[in-house]
Amino acid sequence: MSFKILVCIKQVPDTDDIKWTEHNTIQREGLESIINPFDLGAIELALKAKDMLSKSNVQAEIDVISMGPPQAKQALMTALALGCQNAFLLSDKKFSAADTLATAYTLSQFITTKIPDYKLIICGQQAIDGDTAQTPSSMAQKLNTAQITNAVALQEINEAYSIWVQDTKSQKRTVKSGFPLLVATTLKNIEKLPDINGYIRAQKTEIKVCNAEEINADKAKIGLLGSPTQVKKAFVPEIQRNTTLIENEPTNHCANYILNEIKSCKANNE
Amino acid sequence: MNKKALIYIEINNNIEKVSKEIISKINTLSNDIEIDGVVISDEMTIRNNFDELKQLKLDKLYLIKDNLFDTFQTCLFANVLSSFLKENNPDIFLMGATENGRDLAPRTASTLDIGLTADCTELQLDENANLLATRPTYGGKMMATIISKTKPNFATVRPGAFKENASAAGLPEIIEAIPAINGHEFLIEVLKCEPKPQIEDWTCADVIVAGGLGLKTKENFEKVYEFCQITGAKPAASRAAVELGWAPSDIQVGQTGCSVCPKLYIALGISGAMQHMAGITNADRIIAVNTDKYAPIMQASDTAIVADACSILQNMIDECTVNR
Repeated sequence: MSFKILVCIKQVPDTDDIKWTEHNTIQREGLESIINPFDLGAIELALKAKDMLSKSNVQAEIDVISMGPPQAKQALMTALALGCQNAFLLSDKKFSAADTLATAYTLSQFITTKIPDYKLIICGQQAIDGDTAQTPSSMAQKLNTAQITNAVALQEINEAYSIWVQDTKSQKRTVKSGFPLLVATTLKNIEKLPDINGYIRAQKTEIKVCNAEEINADKAKIGLLGSPTQVKKAFVPEIQRNTTLIENEPTNHCANYILNEIKSCKANNE
Repeated sequence: MNKKALIYIEINNNIEKVSKEIISKINTLSNDIEIDGVVISDEMTIRNNFDELKQLKLDKLYLIKDNLFDTFQTCLFANVLSSFLKENNPDIFLMGATENGRDLAPRTASTLDIGLTADCTELQLDENANLLATRPTYGGKMMATIISKTKPNFATVRPGAFKENASAAGLPEIIEAIPAINGHEFLIEVLKCEPKPQIEDWTCADVIVAGGLGLKTKENFEKVYEFCQITGAKPAASRAAVELGWAPSDIQVGQTGCSVCPKLYIALGISGAMQHMAGITNADRIIAVNTDKYAPIMQASDTAIVADACSILQNMIDECTVNR
């Protein structure tokens, strides 16, 4: 049996032209989309893991999963072209408008029903549209696995355990964990780009589409209904101050004005 | 007092500043709610911080102590915290969106099957004391106010989003709570840990001088450092300047960088994209220098100077050196 690696990816809008639905969620259809950059980092780590395992004669297979509208197939195609073996799209109107908790439930429900023999899950730490970084941790809990976040490199992997480098603002750690394990990565820049052979292989691979029924999803836990958090209001903030405009003044006047402001700021402190 | 808010007080050697910022903010929201805190840590760390803990402006402070808690472990802490929340049953639960907080909060929320709003920069209560949590979304292009149907209303709060009111002290009732450790925890083995040099917290310095694209070159940006050296101000940068490699990401201001709260913020050649403005709303005073009178930052400043930022910066440096 091969060593199963799962990668979860999200298609995100690549435009400033954001439209909101009546539920104050994002209108995804018709929006220019890209693979979330952090998820490309996840694919890269999965490919590294597969490669390292094969060097110790362990055969690994990478399954890539996404939840979204039918057009998210594009993102999965890219993942296949990059070297993933199988692709699954969780797509159902009932899944839409899911918050992080409902998303984590849906993905973990898919994994437990369809790919229960996985060893390693790799996710991008966060998606650039929401920036919450919640789904990986939430999913790890639902799947009852250990989790390593802020991962930037894979140092060692074998059938029993893997060793990762975590990089955060305060420290750099080397950590070890057995399987099953969920890893979230902050890597964004990937070395490998899909080549023409990759795209040909991807074209030949069927992307399996799953709906809510096929994964035995509890209706109360998916989509809008399963999302405890809801956007009450979305707005572009107006930051207004009572502005004094200085223009057509000589440079040294302006410079002195700022220097005086700095001085008075300091004087107030003493 | 029928409603109850609980704040997770994070300690890594010292009490995290954001925990104190949340306490200060929540105390300004209502006089009618009970405000409690909870600490999960080891005996020694709690003892070292006890003088400060016992003066936090809280009604009750729960201490969950065990020597297992001397290092942060996501799964262990999430289980202990979830059990405590089930028993304590607060209406609102808040945590700092620190590195550990961003790990612990979603795992805890998922255990309890409750909603969680990440990285909030504004907190309000509605007429029924439900939490209205506002956060930047879409890379800081929009703000979203989020409500939760589940109890507790749970949110993480962005460090620096609120100011700490250092003068407000309380006398919380201290309660020791017994941790629920169920033995089946996934512990991650730490093979090596290299702490990074602690960068002095510059985000609330009196004066911050930030440079952006309008400084045109890396060499010009270097002058921001030079000027800060002379005046004792702290240097900062816009995202664009960081992406061009003019400045390290540690000093980036904005939604994807730091939130700052200086007395005076001087923006040199920064246009003021939404995502940058999200980081400077707490500055007392903002002076912007930009050649474009209509740049967004100009309307959002107290003083907007239409001029070339490079010349002004050079002129200020010259002025200071002459007067020395």
